[in-house]
Amino acid sequence: MTETVTNARTTRLVVSRRKEGDDPGALRYDTFDVAVGPSTTILDALVAIRRELDPTLTFRHSCFHASCGTCGMRVDGREGLACVTPVPTRDEVTVEPLGNLPVVSDLVVDMNVFYDEFDEAGRPLVRADDLIPECAPAEGIDQVERYEDCIECGICLSACPVAGSDPRYVGPAALAAAWRLIDEPRGRDPGPVLSLMDDEQGAWRCHLAWECSEACPSGVDPAAAIMRLRGAAAAARVRRLFSFGGNR
Amino acid sequence: MASPTVEPRRPTTGPAHRRGLVGWFDPRGRRLGGLAFILNRLTGLGLVLYLYLHLMILSMLIQGPNAWDDFVDIALSPPFLALDVVLLTGMLFHGLNGIRVGLVGLGVVPNRQKALLVAALVIAALVAFVGALRIFAGEQGG
Amino acid sequence: MTVEKQPADRPDAGPRNAPVFVLQVISGAALLVLLGLHMVAQHFVVPTGLRYYEDVIAWLGNPVVIAVEVAFLVFVTYHALVGVRAILFDFGFSDRAERRITLLLWIVGIATIGYGVALFAAILNAA
Repeated sequence: MTETVTNARTTRLVVSRRKEGDDPGALRYDTFDVAVGPSTTILDALVAIRRELDPTLTFRHSCFHASCGTCGMRVDGREGLACVTPVPTRDEVTVEPLGNLPVVSDLVVDMNVFYDEFDEAGRPLVRADDLIPECAPAEGIDQVERYEDCIECGICLSACPVAGSDPRYVGPAALAAAWRLIDEPRGRDPGPVLSLMDDEQGAWRCHLAWECSEACPSGVDPAAAIMRLRGAAAAARVRRLFSFGGNR
Repeated sequence: MASPTVEPRRPTTGPAHRRGLVGWFDPRGRRLGGLAFILNRLTGLGLVLYLYLHLMILSMLIQGPNAWDDFVDIALSPPFLALDVVLLTGMLFHGLNGIRVGLVGLGVVPNRQKALLVAALVIAALVAFVGALRIFAGEQGG
Repeated sequence: MTVEKQPADRPDAGPRNAPVFVLQVISGAALLVLLGLHMVAQHFVVPTGLRYYEDVIAWLGNPVVIAVEVAFLVFVTYHALVGVRAILFDFGFSDRAERRITLLLWIVGIATIGYGVALFAAILNAA
């Protein structure tokens, strides 16, 4: 049975390009006219470009359903996961890599720097404190372990205006991870992490633009986590000042 | 004790879509919080400039009533009154957003940042509007 | 399999001047009061506002007014220059550059307050 895409239209994608040897100071964009349907995503369009128009276009993707965080990029200046971002109905759409991270090739950025920042916070992965009440463990299952919402996509770091100008700022993702560890230590001492992030290039560099939380595709709300981290840090300082003791 | 050193975490050279200073003012993809970030910086810098202008102007008082009163007559002209309205608006936004920054920034009400921001914008706009009417109407008494 | 990691060992890390934000909030709160008093004084104490020379000099002749205005100057200068410092530090300068910026702003701040106090004295002497 042959099926065709109904309501197909042509959209021009203006895609940022960079290859080894390009002038570091120059930005280059290539345009591609792509046939899209009502549910075509940016990732679908990029795959079509690579398959039919330009096999040298490089970009990352994996799960196609917003759970791996691999396909983060900017569409018309706004961060998002390409696999779940529909192609806008405008005639022309600009696609660029995430900001504030070194570009390796086209839409691929070097995520090692981003991942390394998580080591500062101990990289908490498991969260057991906010299970949805309706989702009780099935019979025969004693315990459910819930993974963190953060999918380490780097979108928050791209959206942060301070990370854009300050390469020493630890960034919203690592700070949010630090707060999760402090909020739920799971047997670890949160004191060193709190002390680490209670720093001018840590929690106190945030200026409440809240762009990280707005852009986060996974409900992490890093900005609120940073503010809670600051509250905990300030409280710890007050306690030390009055010799109440403890780091939390 | 020597201050601990924080080295750059992300490379400062090489290709990157790093926004930098230009990125602070890039409206693409920005939401309300990003607008507040930019406005707080602009109003803050404007108020710093006004602080030093104000101190310089006050020095005219040393020159006696003629010099000062002549300046005041100029300051009551419509262009200067318009600048007064701009100053008032900037002060209102910076102060009200500052309340948001203080409360949210110390972890007191981290979940209320948008409501506080909207309230700051609305109150600043209303008071600035009323203030503008009074400034141009020349009403001074309370 | 992904595993949780222990926090990285950074013996040189720790709190660095973080209370600056807290003091900025405190000075901002003080300014809400002091600026409010300043604006009320400027616009509502005298029917035409504190515009003309005679009204301003009469107002500044009150030592309580001088004390409040000096307090206002101290807090506003601190808040303003810490704000400038925060904006400059958003560019991720080196620690050495940041120390120099901080020192420079302290000098500017003390000079500003000194200028303001000298200005009050000069105005009252000239009256």
